[in-house]
Amino acid sequence: MKAVALDHTMLALADPTRRAILQRLGSGEARVTELAAPFAMSLNAVSKHIRVLERAELVQRRRAGREHILSLNPKPLDEAAAWIDEQRRFWTANLDALERALADYED
Amino acid sequence: MSAAPAIRVEHRFAASAERVFDAWLDPVWIGRFMFGPHLRDEQVVSLENDPRIGGQFHYKVTRAGAEIDHTGTYREIDRPRRLVFTWGVDEEQGDQSVVTIMIEPEGDGCVLALTHALHPNWAEYAERTQAGWTKIVGDLAAALNQAN
Repeated sequence: MKAVALDHTMLALADPTRRAILQRLGSGEARVTELAAPFAMSLNAVSKHIRVLERAELVQRRRAGREHILSLNPKPLDEAAAWIDEQRRFWTANLDALERALADYED
Repeated sequence: MSAAPAIRVEHRFAASAERVFDAWLDPVWIGRFMFGPHLRDEQVVSLENDPRIGGQFHYKVTRAGAEIDHTGTYREIDRPRRLVFTWGVDEEQGDQSVVTIMIEPEGDGCVLALTHALHPNWAEYAERTQAGWTKIVGDLAAALNQAN
């Protein structure tokens, strides 16, 4: 995964409102006004959060007449999770190998 | 407990803190435990380092025919307890993440805790979150995949 894409994903997730929006979209697409309803903030503020999610390509927008319908794209999230798993496996494998090497090469 | 965006792994060693610490700065040892065909499907091209604060390392391997340079800069070298270096892969803008290794003597051996902060810039955002990043991403991915 490219570092810039990962940056956008992690930045998008670093906010409870944006995570709540993603979870809402996980149960199906929604209009911007529907998404804004549960939050005690202006439509404008919610729109800013949505733009951060769109930049990360976690949310897609389509127009239906005058409505903007938003839907979830979980792919960047899967990619971020896979990248994190890969890093963890790398270090875990190295520490296991270090233990073996320390046993093999006694001073 | 920090909410920094990081991977954390711990390992207990029977060897002394000094031996474990020194392995991280010795290219011969890097070839024993960090890179090589005995660890994963890769060939070592070269393992070079300049182990002083501000010094760099370049650990080059080939995987599937492509050369990959794992590179970074040493930030803190405090034998045997603490080692901090940046960590990146050439094609991903290098010095974007930070690895912190803390080694605590325990009995005849030691316990090593490695933290890989995925991106220093994420820390300021992560402060607003209560949970670790691995958990956030993992939970969300699982929840969303279930929903789909």
